[in-house]
Amino acid sequence: MSVRPLLEVDGLEVAYGDVQVIWGISFTVAPGEIVTLIGPNGAGKTTTLRAISGLLPPKAGKIRFRGEDLSGRPAHEVVRRGVIQIPEGRKLWPRMTVEENLLLGAFAPRARGLAHEQLGRVYALFPLLKGRRRQLAGTMSGGEQQMCAIGRGLMSEPELLMFDEPSLGLAPLLVDELFAKITDIAKQNVTILLVEQKVAHTLEIADRGYILETGRTVLSGTGKELRESEYVQRSYLGTG
Amino acid sequence: MSAAPASRATSRTAYAVAALALLAFLAVPWVGISNNAIRLLLTTFLWVTTSLAWNLLGGVTGQVSFGFAVFYGLGAYTAGLSINGGITPYAAIPAGGAVAAFGSLLIGLPTFRLRGPYFAIATIGVNEAVRIVMSNLDITGGASGVRLLQAGRFSQAEHYYAALGVASLAFLVSWRVMHSPFGLALRAIREDQDAAADVGVHPFRLKLAVHALAACLTGVAGGVFAHYTAYIHPDGVFSFSTSTSILLMPVIGGLGTLSGPVIGAAVYSIVQEEMVVHFPQFHLLLYGALLILIMLFEPGGLAGLWRRLARRLRGGGP
Repeated sequence: MSVRPLLEVDGLEVAYGDVQVIWGISFTVAPGEIVTLIGPNGAGKTTTLRAISGLLPPKAGKIRFRGEDLSGRPAHEVVRRGVIQIPEGRKLWPRMTVEENLLLGAFAPRARGLAHEQLGRVYALFPLLKGRRRQLAGTMSGGEQQMCAIGRGLMSEPELLMFDEPSLGLAPLLVDELFAKITDIAKQNVTILLVEQKVAHTLEIADRGYILETGRTVLSGTGKELRESEYVQRSYLGTG
Repeated sequence: MSAAPASRATSRTAYAVAALALLAFLAVPWVGISNNAIRLLLTTFLWVTTSLAWNLLGGVTGQVSFGFAVFYGLGAYTAGLSINGGITPYAAIPAGGAVAAFGSLLIGLPTFRLRGPYFAIATIGVNEAVRIVMSNLDITGGASGVRLLQAGRFSQAEHYYAALGVASLAFLVSWRVMHSPFGLALRAIREDQDAAADVGVHPFRLKLAVHALAACLTGVAGGVFAHYTAYIHPDGVFSFSTSTSILLMPVIGGLGTLSGPVIGAAVYSIVQEEMVVHFPQFHLLLYGALLILIMLFEPGGLAGLWRRLARRLRGGGP
């Protein structure tokens, strides 16, 4: 790829105390791409995202965003550069309204001035949230909360939006809608790094993907290549 | 769900009430009201100030502190000693706020590493340590306190207006904070500090900031108090019971709201006035019982109780 990558992860190693779970993961995400990390439970996908977000310090390796080394930077500094994670389990503020949750997404100085324009964009993408903007976030269904969490991520003018299992616990119909929304977001020039267990769905919308197993990158390719790979079909799609 | 629009209408009414109340309070010294009533109002304004200040940290941000007497005392002593040193009260009282804010940073830097009940417990320790140190310093007059030399320079009306001005300032500051992105971030810290950090809020820094703001207002109130009473001593202004009083008022009135701390301070001052006359030892018992009742039945305090009653009267369900 000739374009300079937006995000470069190079030889990343992460440990929880003495227990090392990531043993050298490398991948790149180019501007405007949808890139997915796929792998079984315990492969280190969530840990990788947490390391990029600054929530876990890497033991070794580099995390570069626009060429700047972010490894070991605290979370709020990473957020300020436009690297935003939609957390697994949605972590909204249940006793605050939908609109307050969204506005908090625009707290970083780079986004604060544009909060009200961004709010309009989020409501255009998720009309449901507009109708419920005065409702307490904790009183919505799981799918609605997921939309709210994604909307909150968009409020921060993200350059790189990272999703950790966004389809977790959603009804099948909502999963389709969710993947359609992610594609819509990518069309608005937001680069996406997607961690998912719904491999077939994910490879449909991803430009490129990496297969992680036991903390290492074992395979990579375009979405199409991975869909057609015998290894992926056998291990992840159950079709080979 | 119409909770938010309803509370917005309620708060609009509250602002109208506040503006009218301010006009009425401005007129008080001119309408031939008794000196004792003016004194009661003045005390209430000081408690309104500390109550609103404490509410910013304890109510809005959810960091319960048992150590606000430290700031009240620092403000009182800074102002008192400065006035004795010949400095005008107009500089000495704000200086009390500044010293209290500085003290809050020294206290906050270590204690905000702790969360929830651990922070609350740490502030109890800090309060006691500061009180004991202050009781043993020469500059504070030790346990016997300090008398202010030039206290006669203000008339009672001037003291009254100083207290009213400070309370109005605390009200305006609280209103501004609660309607700003800063206030939204403080509430997010209260509700889920980790989620707040995820969106780029820096909980530690914002806690230090709101702590300093609350300490400054509390210190200014302490300064006005010192100038008015013309006598301060460490076992009074730095005492643990001052800290619990400052905490009780917003809890009784309703945490996290603008009207709650004002109502709480007014109720406390009036009840205090009656109780101290008739049952000098029992007023703390009454507050203890009141606190338990409020925590059990109406965590929203008197403001929450009022909202609930108003909804019921309008026939809008429970």
